[in-house]
Amino acid sequence: MNHKTLIIGIGNSGRQDDGLGWAFLDAIESLFLENLDLEYRYQLQVEDAELIARYNSILFVDADMVQHPNGFNFEKLYPKDVNSYTSHELNPETVLHLAKTIYNVNPECYMLSISGITFHLNIGLTEIALLNLDNAIRFFKQDFYNSVTTF
Amino acid sequence: MSQKIVIDPVTRVEGHGKVTIHLDDQNKVKDAFFHIVEFRGFERFIQGHPYWEAPVMVQRLCGICPVSHHLAAAKAIDQIVGLNPEDLSVPAQKIRKLLHFGQVFQSHALHFFYLAAPDLLFGYDADPLKRNVVGVAMEYPEIAKKGILMRKFGQEIIKLITGKKIHGISASPGGVHKHISAKEISYFLDGKDIPDINTMIEWSLEIIQFMKAYHENNKVFMDSFAAYPSGHLGLVNKKTGFLELYDGFLRATDAEGNITLDDINNDDYADYFYESVERWSYLKFPYLKHLGREKGWNRVGPLARLNVCDGIETPLAEKERQDFKAATQGKTNNMTMYTHWARLIEVLYCAEMMRNLLHDHDLMSNDLIRKGTRRNRGVGIIEAPRGTLIHEYEVDDKDRITHCNLIVSTTHNNEPMNQAVRWVANNVMDGRPEITEGMLNQVEVAIRAYDPCLSCATHAMGQMPMEMTLYDSKGEILDYKVK
Repeated sequence: MNHKTLIIGIGNSGRQDDGLGWAFLDAIESLFLENLDLEYRYQLQVEDAELIARYNSILFVDADMVQHPNGFNFEKLYPKDVNSYTSHELNPETVLHLAKTIYNVNPECYMLSISGITFHLNIGLTEIALLNLDNAIRFFKQDFYNSVTTF
Repeated sequence: MSQKIVIDPVTRVEGHGKVTIHLDDQNKVKDAFFHIVEFRGFERFIQGHPYWEAPVMVQRLCGICPVSHHLAAAKAIDQIVGLNPEDLSVPAQKIRKLLHFGQVFQSHALHFFYLAAPDLLFGYDADPLKRNVVGVAMEYPEIAKKGILMRKFGQEIIKLITGKKIHGISASPGGVHKHISAKEISYFLDGKDIPDINTMIEWSLEIIQFMKAYHENNKVFMDSFAAYPSGHLGLVNKKTGFLELYDGFLRATDAEGNITLDDINNDDYADYFYESVERWSYLKFPYLKHLGREKGWNRVGPLARLNVCDGIETPLAEKERQDFKAATQGKTNNMTMYTHWARLIEVLYCAEMMRNLLHDHDLMSNDLIRKGTRRNRGVGIIEAPRGTLIHEYEVDDKDRITHCNLIVSTTHNNEPMNQAVRWVANNVMDGRPEITEGMLNQVEVAIRAYDPCLSCATHAMGQMPMEMTLYDSKGEILDYKVK
């Protein structure tokens, strides 16, 4: 079992604020924090169950069309069998459920959703998304990082 | 009252399409279409970019098979810098081939385990809430584990060579930019971190046996469902005529196996192909000029490739090909559902080829880049997982791309998929006043056999519901469902 924390950034930098998940990873990488593994994803796939089964602690980061207070939302996730019509886009709860079913593990898992405004075909985050990203990174450094690295 | 049934979007294909089935007053099928409603415009907006950017940019066409676009563009750009495929250094050719086999292996594994297996394991009429990859993982965890690890193996090969599992970079004009070390190769051979290449071969054989048994037990359905005569197109090895995925001659046959395109050079493709357009789809319809729009269209992909080739160079896959051919007494196979079986034989072929290459010391050579005399046109043709992929570029004297033509695998399969939809509409839905989930799924099953890739790598959670709409002859909605 890997005792680092895995952060999976989900999104697509070619669709404006949908790139928030990846921008978050870029920002975290530049901080040179220890005990973190970073993974970029367009969407979650079934094989991600095998990946997360190797970690005790996981943080998913994704853009959200919902406008949250402070520009982001943080919540704990639990395994859940959420049936989707498509197999090339799974939600984090389903990936957790798969990991539990196939690999018999139940890692500590959280979701950080960062509010975006526009998701059209273009490169670059909107100003509001950048502000929300800053808030999310501040939260990560001050509240999340210290707590998970002391597990 | 005549009706129009819309299935939008089609599920468990890569990207989204829409099927419309038009019924007459007696609920008889009047016509059926498979629409591609997404417009990408890559051929246009790549113009003006330096030619060396093409292999990087075109990867963004696809999140499932970016390597195929990367390599097809790279082969075309090699020609711009004056090199034909055989002019590249042997190590560069082998590294590109290993990358390609890894790509096809993981893509085919994805298709079988994630897209096709739910139908095969649960049946086409099973509850759709169960008939999906999550359902497979829940009820068949061992199969799911193998599927995950086979896909992972191919993706790790891609990551090794390109640096990333998706949208990495390996090919440079005239070769590749890095060799592979012995330590990196051992990752795939020692079985410590991931199952080794021999295990991949063993599992490939297992799923072929599963598929053979499935054909035996469901012969009537597999032999008849969405079966129709068609042409077949694919690359064949320039020396042997065997199955070829990276570089070869273009060969096509008609539904009886008669040669309709006789091993032509890649550079000459434009002399033989036309693309027509229809007002109801953004996807073009390629066909062989000399046969015309009605008779000149071809299937591409695993079934077509096994139909046009003379053999397979790896022993285990060749044995399986012979069994596959025996099912039709050696004749050309026009049965759509055999595409799944053919795909799995290619999985085995890729695994065997990867094993050969992973033991080849040329991978560790630093002889990686060659140079030639500059040209203004390049054509790169490759067999992507879904079929023949054509990239053509013209550049000006300032190295800017002035013309780009892409014929992707799913474009070749446009008419075949429409034929498949019409077959289902006529044979399954005709005369039935009610549209059941199982019937709707059979339309999708027919399309999924081609593993179409309609658009890729867009990401908007919650923005892609499955919608079904029923219209009357006046265009008013009779029924509407969202999943």
